[in-house]
Amino acid sequence: MIGVASTFFWIFLIGFAVSAAFSVKDLNISFGEPQTAVTADNKILFSLPIILTNNGLYSIRLFNMTTKISSPTGYNIAKGSTFVPAIKRNQEVVAYHNVTIDVADMLARNQNFLFYDTEFKIIETVSLKVAEVVPVKASLNYTMPWGAPLYNLAIGNPQFEAFNHTHMKASVPLGFENHAMFDLAGKVQARMYDDAGRLRSTGETALNVGQHSTYSGTIEFFVHTSSRVDVPASGYIEVSFQTQLFSYGSVRIYYE
Amino acid sequence: MNENSDNSTRKLLKKYVFKAIKATAKAVVFYLAYFFISSFLGPLSQVIPGFQQSVEAFVTVYICLIIISEMTAGTVYQYFFNVAKALFVILYMILALKGGIMGFNFQDVSIVVDLSFFFIVAMLLSLLGLARSVLQAINYLNQRVEAQQM
Repeated sequence: MIGVASTFFWIFLIGFAVSAAFSVKDLNISFGEPQTAVTADNKILFSLPIILTNNGLYSIRLFNMTTKISSPTGYNIAKGSTFVPAIKRNQEVVAYHNVTIDVADMLARNQNFLFYDTEFKIIETVSLKVAEVVPVKASLNYTMPWGAPLYNLAIGNPQFEAFNHTHMKASVPLGFENHAMFDLAGKVQARMYDDAGRLRSTGETALNVGQHSTYSGTIEFFVHTSSRVDVPASGYIEVSFQTQLFSYGSVRIYYE
Repeated sequence: MNENSDNSTRKLLKKYVFKAIKATAKAVVFYLAYFFISSFLGPLSQVIPGFQQSVEAFVTVYICLIIISEMTAGTVYQYFFNVAKALFVILYMILALKGGIMGFNFQDVSIVVDLSFFFIVAMLLSLLGLARSVLQAINYLNQRVEAQQM
């Protein structure tokens, strides 16, 4: 009797294990076109549609996909999770896997990301329960290139030229390459100080630099001159960037 | 005298032929079951390296044990081989399933499968088989002693 019961349980167990393993091949995980957007709170949002099609013999439970993005030094830049409680037999589920990168926070921790291209480490983990009872976890490590938005930033010395009797026109040459995956829209502000630290003038230029393109321009502003106050012979100019995703500055450039 | 000896030889031969047929039938049934199951597990052997070889080794040893066990039926050795069969299944499970947590790499993806549930049930069934074989061996020896005393 024990032998019969034992044989029956063995058949049931092996049958279940084989059918569960067999049904995994009928679980299809595919990905749609990834979308990138800027959120209302000025963060980059990656959205990846995941299409889960379960044509297997059993339901899938507790599907969870997690993405962790970290810098080469190990600092955690972003983390996103997508959870689907159940995918029943012959059911297709579309879930959106969202990962938000707070560029301002990232740059506050390390400003090198503004100027140097690097590679981020990405750990992708997918876990699920096959046939509702067998936990399976798959993980994949890979790298993603990070392009610096202000790569090769060069701020030249200011050039002064007479504009009229009361003003001089100052031009500060500015150039950089936007290697980032996003467009750079915002403005560059310049504040001119004399060597005594008095603010003499301010100016700004709008920026609209597409991704993977080069910017070359000038920030122009007017310096008030009179018989008593002349163009300062020396001093410094503070340049700062304000874009949709981050602020940077100010960079101080001395002139003579 | 010669006739009696011929008869007993014939009986013995008949007995062994019957045992051999039974062992072959059991082995064939077991192999056919494996053959049927392996057709479902084909995709797994592409993902898990060495899976096919491991299962084939298990089937070969298990079929050998089935044959030996059947050929020694009616003796105490049958129970020894049944115990060996149960122990072999337990050891194989421990080694192959690595305590229930199996990890392997497929291309760049590292996969971990938690087969603890399957492992525990299989171990319990194997232990049940082991206990059954031990008890059968004790029962067989008891019956033999009783027969001798009578």
